[in-house]
Amino acid sequence: MSSSGNPSSSSGGGGGPCGACKFLRRKCVAGCIFAPYFDSEQGAAHFAAVHKVFGASNVSKLLHHVPEHKRPDAVVSICFEAQARLRDPIYGCVSHIVSLQQQVVSLQTELSYLQAHLATLELPQPQPPQVPVSSSGSLQALSITDLPTISPSVYDLSSIFEPVMSSTWAMQQQPRPSDHLFGVPSSSSMGGGGELQALAREFIHGGQMPAQPSPGTSGSASSVIKRE
Amino acid sequence: MNPKRCAACKYLRRRCPKDCIFSPYFPPNDPQKFAWIHRIYGAGNVSKMLQQLPDQTRAEAAESLCFEAKCRVDDPVYGCVGIIHFLQTQIQQTQNQLAKTQAEIAVAQTKLSQTHNSDFM
Repeated sequence: MSSSGNPSSSSGGGGGPCGACKFLRRKCVAGCIFAPYFDSEQGAAHFAAVHKVFGASNVSKLLHHVPEHKRPDAVVSICFEAQARLRDPIYGCVSHIVSLQQQVVSLQTELSYLQAHLATLELPQPQPPQVPVSSSGSLQALSITDLPTISPSVYDLSSIFEPVMSSTWAMQQQPRPSDHLFGVPSSSSMGGGGELQALAREFIHGGQMPAQPSPGTSGSASSVIKRE
Repeated sequence: MNPKRCAACKYLRRRCPKDCIFSPYFPPNDPQKFAWIHRIYGAGNVSKMLQQLPDQTRAEAAESLCFEAKCRVDDPVYGCVGIIHFLQTQIQQTQNQLAKTQAEIAVAQTKLSQTHNSDFM
């Protein structure tokens, strides 16, 4: 998808119809809202997905309400959502969001566990016991059991953080998020489609959504979102 | 005809037939959901999408569509992709912290074993 944002990149009446107008089989007028973002080669394929999910008129209205400098990002995200929805007609992007949330939770659990472990290592160590001296005056050989040990209850953290092991395993079964958002795995490819769908249901009904980031710099998402 | 119109048919100002595709998922007590759906996707597109799905999956599809539509209404530029980006950033930051903590643990363990060794020298 050509998302250069350059108005002259695709024709609005100049060198042939843009991808959107080609798909819609209509005349591409000068000032066509889609022309800068859907070139006549690959743009038509991308627009097909967008049209199937959102509809051309809805996307046109959306883009008109977005400032011009933000439209490339808007088009990229709309294309992404459309393709995710076609790939997974039930959950669309939500399955990807759920998968990422799972990863965040398991990573944070793992981090808490390791930070607790680090805290125990940095505790001041108790004094070592007196070295036992035999009647002959020579030192007795020490075994590992003679070494001072920290209370076993501290090492029992693994039982508290048992879900870490299973979630870490679960995380390993799932593909790592790629830097390119278009590589959205389908819900069936995420280890245990049924489990993921159950999580997606919980996510949707629980409404537990992380606070949306402020758009911030215009390039923040576009730097992550791959532009084809 | 359904005596009580669903939220979709109320919004569209039409009769709500007995087999209305929307009525199981857009009850009349929550008109906002359908408003978001219609604004972003359009009733026709949503109807087609739901009809192509098996009955037992339509409720979840309707919910996820509502969620995405709401995200898009709240953030017309990024929609729910903004959330994906946010979560990916969180993952990256947490992975960095994990790596740092693992390095700190390695250092602490090395110091600990050196302390034990020197105690018994």
